[in-house]
Amino acid sequence: MSTYAPRHTPSAFSTPASTTLFRRLTWEGTVPLEVRVDAKELPANSDRGLECYYMQAPRVSYLPLLVPEIKRFLMDVVFDEAAARVIKEEDWWFESEEGSLLKWHWSIGLIYDNHTITASLRNNSSSSQITPLRLVLHLASPPTDKLLLSPSTDACKQAFMGQLKEADFMRWGSTKRMTGLRKAEQDGLWEGIKEHNFDEYWRVAAKVTPTTTPTRSTSPPPPPSSASMHTRPPSADPGSTAAPDRDGAYSVRSVPVRIYLPDGPVLQDLVPPVLEDGTVHTLAKFLATHLPLLFPPGKPPLAYALVQGVHAPPDAEMAWLGACMPSADGWVNVCVGILRDARVGRF
Amino acid sequence: MQAANAAEALQSYSKPDPVQVPIFFKAVGNAPIMKQNLYKINALNPFRAVIRFLRKQLGWKAQEPLFTYINLAFAPAPDDTVTNLFKSFATEGRLIVNYSTTAAWG
Repeated sequence: MSTYAPRHTPSAFSTPASTTLFRRLTWEGTVPLEVRVDAKELPANSDRGLECYYMQAPRVSYLPLLVPEIKRFLMDVVFDEAAARVIKEEDWWFESEEGSLLKWHWSIGLIYDNHTITASLRNNSSSSQITPLRLVLHLASPPTDKLLLSPSTDACKQAFMGQLKEADFMRWGSTKRMTGLRKAEQDGLWEGIKEHNFDEYWRVAAKVTPTTTPTRSTSPPPPPSSASMHTRPPSADPGSTAAPDRDGAYSVRSVPVRIYLPDGPVLQDLVPPVLEDGTVHTLAKFLATHLPLLFPPGKPPLAYALVQGVHAPPDAEMAWLGACMPSADGWVNVCVGILRDARVGRF
Repeated sequence: MQAANAAEALQSYSKPDPVQVPIFFKAVGNAPIMKQNLYKINALNPFRAVIRFLRKQLGWKAQEPLFTYINLAFAPAPDDTVTNLFKSFATEGRLIVNYSTTAAWG
């Protein structure tokens, strides 16, 4: 446990140990993938018994970053030399087994959780059983229009930086913290993901991600000075208040949160860390506000919420989720699945 | 029965009532200025529909670069919906979309 203590991780100099622990757990999360080349597109003379590749991919990674490892396997084992010469990885793209396009700019963890909740609509098998997500790899004719990005690492990096800035704007009403980073620091964020290096990523990310403070890491009461803070306009410059924890998770204008529903819809709105009545905003209140039909107040819920693959407890605080369990792009992804009859009340 | 209720609930969240929201287009740098720069756009559209609309208004060809930003600050993901962006980033009741011929805040 001592490795999580701030004094042993210089990158997290001012971050409390509990926050660093959850960031580390999130970072180390992986999901099982089965990558199968579309049988119709396998080049002649491929070894057909082996066109399937199994891997354990980091949740924080992205599909374009997995391509080199998959390519190495295919080149070594499946394709013959003639085929290996003409294969162009720029033309590769992925679909789920059910035929839905997988987006380049969604993290692997989001793709996995989104698949889990979409499957919750259709089958009765328990979603607690971990099965590999089956991906179909296509080797040609990427539908660039639907992928929204060209399938390159560069385009993915740009989209990632855009999301970080959007998250920064959600929190503070400006992107000052992100634009204040040096170019090398910004690149370090992406390099950290590419190398799956926690310290390299969080050395920089800790400068833009608010943290919970040690004294308030468990159900903090609203600070005594909160009244003036809550009445200031949402876009007010956080630098203009003198509150001691003005950079803290409970001082942001809004936690960057998106709700993902089965089969597609994504909802986003301002999510203040503290509500107007001075109480701390929790996941239960958040879901009851935005999805009252699925999480009816005072009744058993019809749905459950996954954050980083975990059934998130209803009393999780939104500010805490924003500090401890965001995706690498800064956003807390709440994936909502449908409870089957047998699992009523699990949430 | 519960599953049926959940499916009904999902339906209502998937197909919200169509709303028009005002979008204010603002040129940056050398980008051409629009004669009319305030439009109402269906909020259910993804942001890329806004980009498509803007390109059409400017008579921009497919190969000509055009970069779009919200609030002079960031480029949203093209699959973000207008309604999500409006709720989170509207200024004085309008969503401000900046456009530029060169990368500015990417």
